[in-house]
Amino acid sequence: MFLAKLQGSLERPRNGARMPEKIDFSKVSFLIVDQNKLSTQLIRDILAMLEVSRVRSVTSVERARNVMRGESVDIVITEYYMEPEDGIDLIEWVRTGIDSPDRMIPIIMLTANSEEEYVMRARDRGVTEFLAKPFNVEGLYRRLVSVIARPRAFVNIDDYFGPDRRRRQVTYDGPDRRRTD
Amino acid sequence: MARRAQIIPPRPDLRRKAVNYTKGFDLKLSPAMVEKLEQVVHKARDNFTTDIAGRLVAMRKALREIGEAEGGDKSVLALIYANSLEIKGAGGTIGYDLLTAIGKSLNDFVTGLGELDRRRTDIIDLHIDALYVVLANRITGRGGPTEAAVLKAFSAVRAKFKDD
Repeated sequence: MFLAKLQGSLERPRNGARMPEKIDFSKVSFLIVDQNKLSTQLIRDILAMLEVSRVRSVTSVERARNVMRGESVDIVITEYYMEPEDGIDLIEWVRTGIDSPDRMIPIIMLTANSEEEYVMRARDRGVTEFLAKPFNVEGLYRRLVSVIARPRAFVNIDDYFGPDRRRRQVTYDGPDRRRTD
Repeated sequence: MARRAQIIPPRPDLRRKAVNYTKGFDLKLSPAMVEKLEQVVHKARDNFTTDIAGRLVAMRKALREIGEAEGGDKSVLALIYANSLEIKGAGGTIGYDLLTAIGKSLNDFVTGLGELDRRRTDIIDLHIDALYVVLANRITGRGGPTEAAVLKAFSAVRAKFKDD
């Protein structure tokens, strides 16, 4: 009871207004998957400035699998273009692999493969956020905020397992339109 | 018949772990914090330009050695694809928007290309020349009318010779 009251007093100032939320990045662990070491280092430096202390980086999908099997990871940031397996292979394994350690982990794809076909492919395999390179720090930060503070529902259907792809929820009052309804 | 979608509610664990009201960063970054983060990117600029220069050398060398390369045109095209993609991604991040634009033009040109001939090799060479000029003259941003004209010319050349 006392703790609940204390927490409440921390959350709200006395005039009743809600305090703004903050993100403590020091509690979050990251895995970066990219074959470009400079790009990886830049993301590491940005995360360090945000006080992230737990970052692993690997240069292949196979190594990413090994890290995820053995360690706790909260967020994956992956490049699309890699060889021999690419970022899509990684997403597929995470979302649908029988040995995936966490099918609902947030995955941010950060890539120069930014044309629509790549975005759609990543989305349809279950990417959580997509950020095109070249990127700016605000764009990256917005994606981090999105996956941490505003997690999305997941959808499980015949050919898809991943975050709900409908970003804007519109209320629909009309009749059901599917033949099966 | 397709089965109905199962909706799984958002998982709260990461939010519960990291979001609070006392410690950390605001959901919307302050201008001062944005500036700090941009400084991190700015500091990386020299490393990126050195890396891009290395990629230009590698592409030029591969073009010079066409015919000798193991794997033939395909391996040369794969190398140019990979390097132009990296230049496209890195340029604008460090303020060289033109590197991104020319890198994208080159990447678009070699994407899906199966073989090289003299004209296609010349087009790739011209892209590399242009990238060198931007880098050597430290042309940041999108450039002016001359650079716009160069990009327009590359676009026309791509359309004409890619599927020729």
